[in-house]
Amino acid sequence: MSIRDLLSPFTAWKYLLKNPVTIPDPLNDRPGSARYRGFHKNDNEKCIGCGTCEAICQNGAIDMLPVKGTATQEGDSGLRPRIDYGRCCWCALCVDVCMTGSLTMSNEYKWVESDPDAFRFTPGVDEKFWDNAELGYQRPEDHRLVEAKRVTMEEMDADTRINSFAEIVNGYSIEQAKLEADRCVACGICIATCPTHMAIPDYIDAVREGNYERGLKLLYETNPFSNVCGRVCTRKCESACASRHEGEPIAIRWLKRHIIDQVPFEKYREIIGEPDAPTGKKVAIIGAGPAGMTAAFDLVRMGHEVVVYEAKAAAGGMTRYGIPEYRLPYDALDRDIELIVSLGVKVHYNTRIGSDIAMAQLEQDFDAVLLAIGLQEGRQTRIPKSEHEKVYRAVDLLDKITSEEAFELPHCAVVIGGGNVAMDIARSLARMQKQQYDQVDVVVTAMEDQQHFMADADEIKEALEEGIIIRDNCGPQGCEIDESGHLIGLKTWKVLSILDENNRFAPTYDDSDETIHACDTVIEAIGQFSDTSLLGEELTEKLEWNRGRIDIDSNGRTSESWLWSAGDCVSGPDVVHAVADGHRVASSINSYISSNESSIDKQS
Amino acid sequence: MSALSIEGRHIGLPLRETKWMREFYTKLAKQFPLGELTEQRDNLAFISIEQPQLRPLLMHLRDKEGFSHLVLLTAVDWIEEGHFQLTYLLSNRTNGTDIGLRLMISRDDALMESIHDIWPTAATYQRELREMFGIDFPDSPGVYEDFILEGWNNIPPYRRDFDTLEFSTENFAQRPGRETKDPAQHMKQQLYPDGA
Repeated sequence: MSIRDLLSPFTAWKYLLKNPVTIPDPLNDRPGSARYRGFHKNDNEKCIGCGTCEAICQNGAIDMLPVKGTATQEGDSGLRPRIDYGRCCWCALCVDVCMTGSLTMSNEYKWVESDPDAFRFTPGVDEKFWDNAELGYQRPEDHRLVEAKRVTMEEMDADTRINSFAEIVNGYSIEQAKLEADRCVACGICIATCPTHMAIPDYIDAVREGNYERGLKLLYETNPFSNVCGRVCTRKCESACASRHEGEPIAIRWLKRHIIDQVPFEKYREIIGEPDAPTGKKVAIIGAGPAGMTAAFDLVRMGHEVVVYEAKAAAGGMTRYGIPEYRLPYDALDRDIELIVSLGVKVHYNTRIGSDIAMAQLEQDFDAVLLAIGLQEGRQTRIPKSEHEKVYRAVDLLDKITSEEAFELPHCAVVIGGGNVAMDIARSLARMQKQQYDQVDVVVTAMEDQQHFMADADEIKEALEEGIIIRDNCGPQGCEIDESGHLIGLKTWKVLSILDENNRFAPTYDDSDETIHACDTVIEAIGQFSDTSLLGEELTEKLEWNRGRIDIDSNGRTSESWLWSAGDCVSGPDVVHAVADGHRVASSINSYISSNESSIDKQS
Repeated sequence: MSALSIEGRHIGLPLRETKWMREFYTKLAKQFPLGELTEQRDNLAFISIEQPQLRPLLMHLRDKEGFSHLVLLTAVDWIEEGHFQLTYLLSNRTNGTDIGLRLMISRDDALMESIHDIWPTAATYQRELREMFGIDFPDSPGVYEDFILEGWNNIPPYRRDFDTLEFSTENFAQRPGRETKDPAQHMKQQLYPDGA
């Protein structure tokens, strides 16, 4: 033993009069630091139950479970994470990956219970004493496990694209698509929102692994209009995407298109497979649009004989005769149609039911009939002098453009309406004006303010880039005709309000704020309706109706046991909704004709 | 991370202004080649350095600048870059300031010189790093002895290529009463059970 060892106990005496470093009451005087990873908090309102926290947890400590008072709805599974503190290691990966930022940690680290099961709890639902702790770990702003911004879709610049109807959007390269696919956390919240419930996380996974044939197979399981939807889908899925909360939603539509772009059309049939053996049952479908052709696709694969009657010269309905080529090139649409036809669907073009063939004939010749006639007729404003020959409906002009039917191209056009159809006709006319007159003169007037237009934000942005003028809050009051009978303008008043207190359409105007929009043509793009005259008087009388639309049950069946209806004519305008309708009625028709019910009906 | 959480709140220790940290860094940079400065808090900053600067810097900070205490030595696996990051966290007890020195070493045959001669406590951290990350510190006392993982025969568990979830699933039973639901399936069941 050295002298030092002997003396050292006494050296401690020198600390006697100093402030102690020791914390006298550590349980209370030593709070966790500002960023301490203590007990979890979850903002139940912000949480969407995507389960990404569960997926990333390396200890299997998190379960996703329904909780009382939180409903399952679009964009929210209604599940909430329950954490087992017997397994948690407080690594905070769950907080770092949380898609909404709802999951955080308090700086609290002391919790005593006698019941071990109490340590399995649902933060934000089971009340805890640290719920209101201000300090604790939250994901730092710049620290992200998934990229917040989507991979930019390259597109043609405005000066180039205005010269032609060439497709604007380039599509992703394989590298870009993989980067975009990598942003998806595969929670699957989007599936419920997609009307046809596409296997979105699975086909995004196929992009990630570069297995495009698997991707195509997945697309066709739910959507035979994947070429179309890969380009012009209303992509409601993206508005439910978990990534939208703290960044941009995954570009689901463009990833779908990417799969389509990668698989040669010759391979489609092999991937989709052969139809079932013939059943001997026959189904007639009226209208070769997305609803009718989706039903045809399903029914023909079930082995039924399917005959489609189409009034126009080509199939596709509004996707061909409404949507302009620069958004949906005809060859993309043709691929979807060709595939369905190749399975054995017979399509009679230029055949109008009602005049060429009567409904009663179809009822007699087929086991079931589907009415999928869409919304082909444009609504009219019926403002004074709008019966002038230079006042058109947008859908009629779009039809003429597709059919290459001649019409007098306006030098100066005013469009009434703020929806996608208004943008479609405005942008189509702008292109034709540029080609023929070398200048664009199109004005879009709408009653809403621009923030509340029905049109996609992209459509509005691109229309403006192409030189189209938008005048919002303009309520049409009448057309202006000069002494020689020429249309010279549209008169509008400033709109003060559109809906009344009961949310009914009852616009009020400031009539002192009047504008005359000079033009030689007015185009009404305020909505479409269905021409149901093909049904004939007798059937029209027999059918049940609901606010001007044929009444259908949840399977798309009308009050007549042999007749179904699907698509825009019963559900309103939307491609992917029409596809979903097509599947629904096909399944219902199949169960009807596969049972003996149809033969019994025939005999009676 | 409990050492970090104390956050200089010891009674009677003044918190330094951020400015102090930056001035200190500027002064230090005149003597040593330094990399990036990351200021975490008023009294906590990290400085990136190259491996050869470690020993002279540690000696300087300990003997000339009052950073007498090695708070911890830890590592991060940057598997994509092929690096391990080592962080030597030092504390100046007199002014309540902490400085972390960060450096990268290669992930392949990870090897680092020992600093147990500067702080004997380093041997414990180095032994832990060898066990948890597989970083070798030749000559560090007891470095090859088991630390907490007795009889471990897998890859070092703090390496990112170690499948923690698989390990925890295989080795630890779930408490009775655990159940979970898949969000997409649950939504289908709730919102469109018939598939349409």
